[in-house]
Amino acid sequence: MEVPALSTLPLIPSLHIACVDPQRMKTMAALLRDPYPIHWDPESVSDAAHGGRTVNQGPLNLAYIANMLMAWAGDGSIRRLEASFHAHVLAGDAVTASGEVDELFDIGGERRARCSVRLLRGDDLIVTGTAEVAIAEMDAIAGTDRMPGQISSELHEDLL
Amino acid sequence: MRYRLGVPRFAESIPDGHVNAVATQDPVDPDRVGIPSDEEIAALVGYRFPGGLRKVERWENWLLTDCTQRQPMSGKQLHPVVLFHVPIQAASTSIGEIFSLCGGGPAGSVTLLGYEWEYLAVMSEDVVYRGDGGVVAATRFRGSDGRVTHDDIFFVIELSDPEETTVARVTTRWRFLR
Repeated sequence: MEVPALSTLPLIPSLHIACVDPQRMKTMAALLRDPYPIHWDPESVSDAAHGGRTVNQGPLNLAYIANMLMAWAGDGSIRRLEASFHAHVLAGDAVTASGEVDELFDIGGERRARCSVRLLRGDDLIVTGTAEVAIAEMDAIAGTDRMPGQISSELHEDLL
Repeated sequence: MRYRLGVPRFAESIPDGHVNAVATQDPVDPDRVGIPSDEEIAALVGYRFPGGLRKVERWENWLLTDCTQRQPMSGKQLHPVVLFHVPIQAASTSIGEIFSLCGGGPAGSVTLLGYEWEYLAVMSEDVVYRGDGGVVAATRFRGSDGRVTHDDIFFVIELSDPEETTVARVTTRWRFLR
């Protein structure tokens, strides 16, 4: 299988979350059966650093990156995610997932892209990591003039 | 039952296709004081979770995906974020139990360092997965005054499908501030 040049791949459109929703943190805490109150009880985060804003679950921060990758390469395309967490995301924050392809390779007959990924709040790095994404399904769009762009969470909200 | 590995504590009586792998909770006691000894931290390495079974139904996958602020997944595919809690629950443990096991203290004393999630096969709604794993590393850190500052504890859990094919492997790294 011939590995395409990096320049023939569309860039990964970033994904913007305009407002991290505290109500979704509560649902997530229930699904995870996570007893840690910083995710659902504003009184537990009443210190100056948090100001009563609950803390988004780490898995949700990583999920924004996963959603960005799936919007780019398709559901079911993610083969590996490795992430390190550097700061909390608080209720009401706006965050942006972004990434770029570092390397293309074949493994087990499957073409993959190794990507650097991150989650940002403004200029603050929240999550950094790497991902491996299957890109076989992207043959149809590889080589087009698709430009890097941004997907907003509001767009997804409209689809719900 | 097609599963042959160690029987989880509550799965023996679970009929095929009907799984309840949510472990009992031991919430973190916010008043807990005291730091695990060096020996207790070292002894964590090799600890095995009981192991068990877990499936994700449509409602859970939908809600979980909604929490990530995107539209539902296509078909019956599970959202990738399932690799946080499903392995933990499939292994018949819980976040609360792990915090207790590692001597987690009050709110703010446990920090997530990172994950490595490997997706070895597509995971789907309504499939019963088996979880097995345990603590693989525990490292104690001290300040210049010799006082314990934190413990970094890593655990690995694998999920396998009814054909006993490993479909996912997760490594989770947590820091317990002391």
